[in-house]
Amino acid sequence: MNAGSDGTRTGIGAGSAGQDPAGQGTAEVARQLRDTIAAQFGRSLHIRTLDTGSCAVCEQEIRLLSAPYYDLHRLGFFFTPAPRHADLLLVTGPMVRAFDGAARKTYEAMPGPKVVVATGACALGGVYPADPFVHGNVGEVLPVDVWIPGCPPSPLALLQGLGVAVGRLAEKTPGLTFIAGQDIPGGAG
Amino acid sequence: MPFWFARGLRRGVVTTRYPARSDGSAAFLPTPPAFRPRQLTGQTADRLVAVCPSMALRRQDDVLIFDVGACTACGRCAEAAPDAITPSGEFELGATARSALVKRIPIRGETR
Repeated sequence: MNAGSDGTRTGIGAGSAGQDPAGQGTAEVARQLRDTIAAQFGRSLHIRTLDTGSCAVCEQEIRLLSAPYYDLHRLGFFFTPAPRHADLLLVTGPMVRAFDGAARKTYEAMPGPKVVVATGACALGGVYPADPFVHGNVGEVLPVDVWIPGCPPSPLALLQGLGVAVGRLAEKTPGLTFIAGQDIPGGAG
Repeated sequence: MPFWFARGLRRGVVTTRYPARSDGSAAFLPTPPAFRPRQLTGQTADRLVAVCPSMALRRQDDVLIFDVGACTACGRCAEAAPDAITPSGEFELGATARSALVKRIPIRGETR
């Protein structure tokens, strides 16, 4: 990981733009760095999962990724039990406030460059948006790079999200309208 | 000998890429709703906002704001207004911007 050895600890997406301690402010440098990181991550990376109070159904789906049917490892992704070895933090759950310290420590322990992926509706702020015991959104504590919706996200959705996180797949969400097909043309109601 | 095994031997490639076509189980996944704006009246929209358990829907005048990230695909909205809502079939929704997951649905049916 050459991109990490020069002291940069930034992730890929816009979510961690403010985490750049080297102060390389220009957009051009940031773009080059992102390209480098994408090239580095494009081959193989290790995933650390972080459960911040989820109901464990997201974990079930994550576990299914390593089963032969989806076989995550053929794509060069591997799970690791130690954040020190991890490139990507897969966060599930609504970010329980009691877990703040552990979440920050886990993030700090990871070597750069690193990516944070928020997984599931809880982590995206859907299920517990106004609960006093949770933040209700992983983005309040960690700089999230990729958001994967779903309750739970299916293994295929997780694979696609991981592909987006390493820059191998284009995200299709911005192009979706969630308006049923026959109502799009015309517009006269 | 399975085709993929022969192909892998020929190319010397041991890993494959993300599936080019979705697998069979994708047809059975619960997916977030897609809306039919012409069937969506103001009254229906208010009912949908009330019935959504994960607060993924909220109304802003003549627009229904649908937060795909908050949606749990429970199907209660489709039960409450079956003519205005159909399953979208979309589940590959990973996004780099949280705001890309918030969709605006126009309410085109008569407001009362």
